Amino acid sequence: MAAAEKQAVTGAGPFNDLLTWIDQRFPLVETWRAHLSEYYAPKNFNFWYYFGSLALFVLAIQIVTGIFLTMNYKPDAAQAFASVEYIMREVPWGWWIRYMHSTGASFFFICVYLHMFRAMLYGSYRKPRELLWIFGMLIFLCLMAEAFFGYLLPWGQMSYWGAQVIVNLFDAIPIIGPDLAIWIRGDYVVSDATLNRFFAYHVVAVPLALLALVVAHIVALHEVGSNNPDGVEIKKVKDPKTGRPLDGIPFHPYYTVKDGFGVVVFLVVFSIVVFFAPEAGGYFLEANNFIPADPLKTPPHIAPVWYFTPYYSILRATTENFMWVLAAGVVAMAGLVIWSVKNTAARICVAALAAGLLAGFFTLDAKVWGVVLMGLSVMIFFFLPWLDRSPVKSIRYKGPITKTAIALFVIAFFVLGYLGTQAVTEERTLAAQIGTAVYFLFFFLMPWYSKMDKCRPEPARVGSK
Amino acid sequence: MSDPSKPNRARRKLIIASACAGGAAAVGTAVPFAASMLPSERAEALGAPVEADVGPLAPGEKMTVEWRGQPVWILRRTKEMLEGIKKADGKVADPRSERKKGELTPEYARNEFRSIKPEYLVVVGICTHLGCSPQDRLKAGPEAFESDWTGGFYCPCHGSLFDLAGRVYRNKPAPDNLRVPPYTYLSDTRILIGEDKKGA
Amino acid sequence: MTRLLAVLALAAPLAFAAEEAVRLDAAPIDPRDVASLQAGARSFVNYCLNCHSAGMVRYHKLQDLGISEQQVKDNLLFTADKIGELMNVSMTRKDAKEWFGTAPPDLSVIARARGPDWLYTYMRSFYRDPESATGWNNMVFERVAMPHVLWTLSGQQVQVERRFRTREQAEAVGRQQKNAWKVDVLTPEQAGKDAERYILKTIRTDTAGSLSQVDYDVFVRDLVNFMTWMAEPNQVTRKQVGYVVLLVLLALLVLSYLLYKEFWKDVH
Repeated sequence: MAAAEKQAVTGAGPFNDLLTWIDQRFPLVETWRAHLSEYYAPKNFNFWYYFGSLALFVLAIQIVTGIFLTMNYKPDAAQAFASVEYIMREVPWGWWIRYMHSTGASFFFICVYLHMFRAMLYGSYRKPRELLWIFGMLIFLCLMAEAFFGYLLPWGQMSYWGAQVIVNLFDAIPIIGPDLAIWIRGDYVVSDATLNRFFAYHVVAVPLALLALVVAHIVALHEVGSNNPDGVEIKKVKDPKTGRPLDGIPFHPYYTVKDGFGVVVFLVVFSIVVFFAPEAGGYFLEANNFIPADPLKTPPHIAPVWYFTPYYSILRATTENFMWVLAAGVVAMAGLVIWSVKNTAARICVAALAAGLLAGFFTLDAKVWGVVLMGLSVMIFFFLPWLDRSPVKSIRYKGPITKTAIALFVIAFFVLGYLGTQAVTEERTLAAQIGTAVYFLFFFLMPWYSKMDKCRPEPARVGSK
Repeated sequence: MSDPSKPNRARRKLIIASACAGGAAAVGTAVPFAASMLPSERAEALGAPVEADVGPLAPGEKMTVEWRGQPVWILRRTKEMLEGIKKADGKVADPRSERKKGELTPEYARNEFRSIKPEYLVVVGICTHLGCSPQDRLKAGPEAFESDWTGGFYCPCHGSLFDLAGRVYRNKPAPDNLRVPPYTYLSDTRILIGEDKKGA
Repeated sequence: MTRLLAVLALAAPLAFAAEEAVRLDAAPIDPRDVASLQAGARSFVNYCLNCHSAGMVRYHKLQDLGISEQQVKDNLLFTADKIGELMNVSMTRKDAKEWFGTAPPDLSVIARARGPDWLYTYMRSFYRDPESATGWNNMVFERVAMPHVLWTLSGQQVQVERRFRTREQAEAVGRQQKNAWKVDVLTPEQAGKDAERYILKTIRTDTAGSLSQVDYDVFVRDLVNFMTWMAEPNQVTRKQVGYVVLLVLLALLVLSYLLYKEFWKDVH
């Protein structure tokens, strides 16, 4: 739309004149309409739909509190720990800023996990939203990196040894591992050099990446429009006169007002933690991290922060014995795929891949495969849009198999998470191995069970609930 | 039959009420963030008053004490030095320290010798031009910059001159007299710099 | 009881070399008891601040406990000249390592790292051990390098072992103890013919100190109370602000809910 032809902002007065001046030079009103006042979202969003805007809100909290923490924090191994206590004790309101940042980190993961779970429930990753899902997964990876780098900064015992353990995982990679680990650390062990660069990643690099990805995520969302709890595409049924989706309502004012309420509820819960239980029983601020990092003294019990524990569990579950289970699994999966797929070339590829994996299972260390499985447990989410072959999107219309599968997955996730906080015992390892199996089977068997499940027909219009 | 104007008015009131409450909450949230940028307890502790023991100071000797990161000079002036100050009255720009009184010269220093006791000069040793630390030229006698020098301080950066009461000479780059910090005597030989009797 | 269980869950990894975890006593501290905190401050400065630093705490912070500036300067200012300085000690880490084998840790946030119950039990679990370098050992922290600095107050304790057939018997007797106790178990091979495999380890006073057991417990309680305060001096302010914030949020909650419902009347 050329500037000369642009509709002047309706109404008179200096404010509207200013808006018109801006609007002739910047797509202000256009953007407002396209993304807020005339962007139509389904009217049946439920509880699960709060967490996207809440995640954005927590991102804002983390950035603002992060900026103020950076004003006083010292990214130097000799000064880091004391500088955090300096912020807690001597900077006016420093304790509040610090607690908001530490609590915000955990709440970020709570919101993001619930946000992702919503997508799993309602099939929000299905076509045409695959790219939206991919951007989201990339955000999740950045978030994990951000949390990992950030956790080193207080330079406590957990900070130091957690970083040491995870960077050593890279060491386990065949051939290039040791050099790679040294390059990552900038030293032979986690040290001041590592702290300084992790600070740069945490404060500049990853936040920039996160912001870019969040913008891409929202742009991709607005391109295709939101999904909803019924899995119905609201764009399919439009008002003939206005062209607006019949089951849609403009985001502003309806969802701005609803998300505003959501933010206040969130702040109540958030504030209860920040002001009355910032350590959250040792889960948000770990007791051991109040001991300054000591490279010569390994704590008896190194555990990652709670939001990483499910994956950590999977890592530890991969023992020598478990390799047999994996081998059996690979053989069974290969068999299943070969039986389902008719293409000969594909069959040969699958067989070759399976053979290669089996060879690898028994030549490379179980430790290496533990790292692989841990990585796979996150990466596999990327493939969800293509694993789910159900004719319907939303769990409301799916059959008993899918419902059971999701329930089992959730239980496995929580069990793995809990086990990740505990010390290793034989019974716990067995439980973790079962949990790992359920976790992966949820994904690997999905192409089959999602297809065979008895679904109900998806409605054409959004339901009453 | 619903009245179309009624819900709009109720809605508008609610919007205004929410906007006000939200705005107030936002300001309430912003204040601690801004406050966090004020000097911390460490800055306050480091900026705390400093005690100087002038007992060992001989007449004509000068000692330097650090306060708030600045050098504070304590000069024990001799009778000759005090007379030299009177002689410099005509050469200095602001002989009665009337310029920027509140900033540079506290009440108790608004006198002939710019100090509580004439014997001890207490000034911040930073040139009021661009912040260099002037050098001692305490002895009276001819100097390159002034043939009839009665004693004081010479700033090497741009040539500003100050007398033995810290008053700046006329026609020099520095505009003001040397600052007299808040200070008080804890005893005859102990000076507390950074705090005066009122406890400022 | 739940607190004890929670502490036990945390205690397990912390008892490094011990076979089994020591049962920690609940520290009967009251953060609002100003007299206790002041007594603890005095004890800390007099007994601990020679070897242990509290390098993230400034002396002037003690004024928050109702101790005046002059009182701090007269009675508590040993390792610094000015009241605004940090509570550091003159012993360097290098010297400390040479003399003790390990540097005494800074105690500024030890109460958040170990927990008050651990500290309370630890200070009351020293016993004489002729085989250790210092002559002392500790039930909670085996082979600790710290000598029992407070022995003149607590008197000298020795460790006592009693054997039982079952764990339940051992624990039943243990729970009656006023001090720290733990139950170690021998494997059948180690026990040999002896059917009593469960060893209850407790301590008993051999030589009395200047304080009775009850008074010494109070002394330690005050010290731990102080250390808990020292680990987070802003605790009280934090909660006070919290109440105000929740009140404001409650008002916002009502308003935002009404606003939401008002607009959504349009949607069917």
